[in-house]
Amino acid sequence: MPAPLDLPGPAGAPAPAGLPVRAGLGLKPAHFRDILETRPALGFFEIHAENYLVAGGPFHHYLSEIGQHYPLSVHGVGLSIGGEGPLDAAHLDRLAALLDRYQPAAFSEHLAWSSHGCAFLNDLLPLPYDRATLDRVCQHIDVVQHRLNRRMLLENPATYVEFAASTLSETEFIGEVVRRTGCGLLLDVNNVYVSCTNHGRDPYAYLDALPLAAVGEIHLAGFAEDVDAAGDRLLIDNHGSPVAEAVWDLYRYALAGSGPVATLIERDHDVPALAVLLAEAGRADGALAAAAAPRRAA
Amino acid sequence: MNQQLTAASLALALGAALTVAASPALAADKMADKEKCFGVALKGKNDCAAGPGTTCAGTSKIDYQGNSWSLVPKGTCQKTASPTSPTGFGQLAAFKEKKA
Amino acid sequence: MSAQAAFAAALVDPALPCPPGLLAWNGSDPARRFAVYRNNVVVSLIDALADGFPVVQALVGDQFFRAMARRYVVDRPPASAVMAEYGDDFADFIAGFAPAAGLPYLADLARLERCRVTACHAADAAAIDPAQLAAALADPATLPDLRLALHPALRVLASDYAIVALWAAHQGVGALAEVHPGRPESALVLRYGLDVEVIGITAAAAAFVASLAAGYCLGQAMAAAGAHEAAFDPTAILATLIAKGAVCTVCTASARHPQGEHHD
Repeated sequence: MPAPLDLPGPAGAPAPAGLPVRAGLGLKPAHFRDILETRPALGFFEIHAENYLVAGGPFHHYLSEIGQHYPLSVHGVGLSIGGEGPLDAAHLDRLAALLDRYQPAAFSEHLAWSSHGCAFLNDLLPLPYDRATLDRVCQHIDVVQHRLNRRMLLENPATYVEFAASTLSETEFIGEVVRRTGCGLLLDVNNVYVSCTNHGRDPYAYLDALPLAAVGEIHLAGFAEDVDAAGDRLLIDNHGSPVAEAVWDLYRYALAGSGPVATLIERDHDVPALAVLLAEAGRADGALAAAAAPRRAA
Repeated sequence: MNQQLTAASLALALGAALTVAASPALAADKMADKEKCFGVALKGKNDCAAGPGTTCAGTSKIDYQGNSWSLVPKGTCQKTASPTSPTGFGQLAAFKEKKA
Repeated sequence: MSAQAAFAAALVDPALPCPPGLLAWNGSDPARRFAVYRNNVVVSLIDALADGFPVVQALVGDQFFRAMARRYVVDRPPASAVMAEYGDDFADFIAGFAPAAGLPYLADLARLERCRVTACHAADAAAIDPAQLAAALADPATLPDLRLALHPALRVLASDYAIVALWAAHQGVGALAEVHPGRPESALVLRYGLDVEVIGITAAAAAFVASLAAGYCLGQAMAAAGAHEAAFDPTAILATLIAKGAVCTVCTASARHPQGEHHD
């Protein structure tokens, strides 16, 4: 069994600074110069770790400059925490070096797998929620947290299929991972909406079943509409459009449970001008402010 | 070229190169102007390939089904002169994607 | 076969059935849902290649490029999660891809584009203070033994085809119709400031730079260039290397007290 975690976090002291309770944006190369020239009022910028696992050049140049003015969040997209095989130690070492260099306020990864054998499949693939998978995911998160010497945040996935082999619900599975590893939760509200729609579930009940006290960051994004073989809605987590109204509603509900939490607007395809994303971030800031206002007596 | 001769020509060349490199004229000469146009970095598709490859987003396009394409080239290669091509233009063979 | 092995195999091979054990809440055929993953994997990898090889894509057209890239993706999926590292052997793949045989320059064009990506992400290094090079002139006899350490982003590519002109024509420099693809050209690729630049150089200059990059001293590099051009004058290429910050350190190969080694 893994040794009890001795990690900085809510249970230990002192806690790391963490991300500020404000809205942030994903950092896109198209916006590097704009950001440095205009220095928009934003809580943080988030990068995809794998884009910066290169030796040098413009990506590191701009990230270093932007990191001097904003807190950073590093979001891994290729560690394959749910993979059947052992974690890629070399990849983990590179992540450790990146975190060492930039000292981000948060590090997160996905409840998914993306590598098999020697092949990296470049997608976040789904897992059956059974005991064997739970043990493996927890063991991998233990390895990650010890190697990186920090508490990580685990993101709930957007999925398109479910497994006959699952014996736990997704929320039970995530709750158990959080309890056993001490990791935090990156609550992707768009993923909640997408997955619940895709699997005929109530997204509000899903949120109620999650350990919202463990949420260290929230993601908001847009999805694309498709249909499955029966003609029912099948939502695709494509990060290619503004955050949907239904997701904003769900976000406000989530904040009521988690309290105000650093919130990222994710946009990876059809990336618009920075000002457009700043307006969406402003809307998230408004929801955070409302959630921070004294609540009326229950 | 013997060592002495090489040394002498290197001395001349390096000396001249240092002078040329130090002069602001290099930035204004024809080659540098051309290079400026070549220096495409960090915009659009030339952002050094960080694009959708490493995002965690999906995409809803379904175009992986490539079982029986007959492809006709439609690229800029058709505009290049090609001495080996009977038509005088660059040619691509149409090919069929076979099922594995 | 493990569950993930079966899942992974079906992702890249549409001829395989949807893996077993998948469900949809409404009892609908899970194959339609599995297709979303198939699409994500293949399309995202093709898109990653398309980003790194825009001129190859333009030359053959989107449809041909994506078909060719799809075959590459299935045959040679990435080994690393870092997409900037994907595509190292795409040029080799193109060279052996029969449908593209009518464009013999295509593989070298892909090599040039790959050089640009790797140059973009290569390690940083400070340019040498030209005064250090000037100091070397004080003793010309030692110049043939001088070693120049070049910038980690520097690449040199000699081709039997007009790769620089073909590439430049796709950047709006020169007319494509006037390019003769069969004319041999060599490219120097380097990072100046934050920009990757492609500079056309002579075959002799390419041999000179390649020799220096391989760790040979100036005298040996002169000999390598001389094999291409008997009266090779290195002034222009040295000026370019110095002006573009591509010379990082200098040391005398045979000196008993080499300078600059602490910079390595």
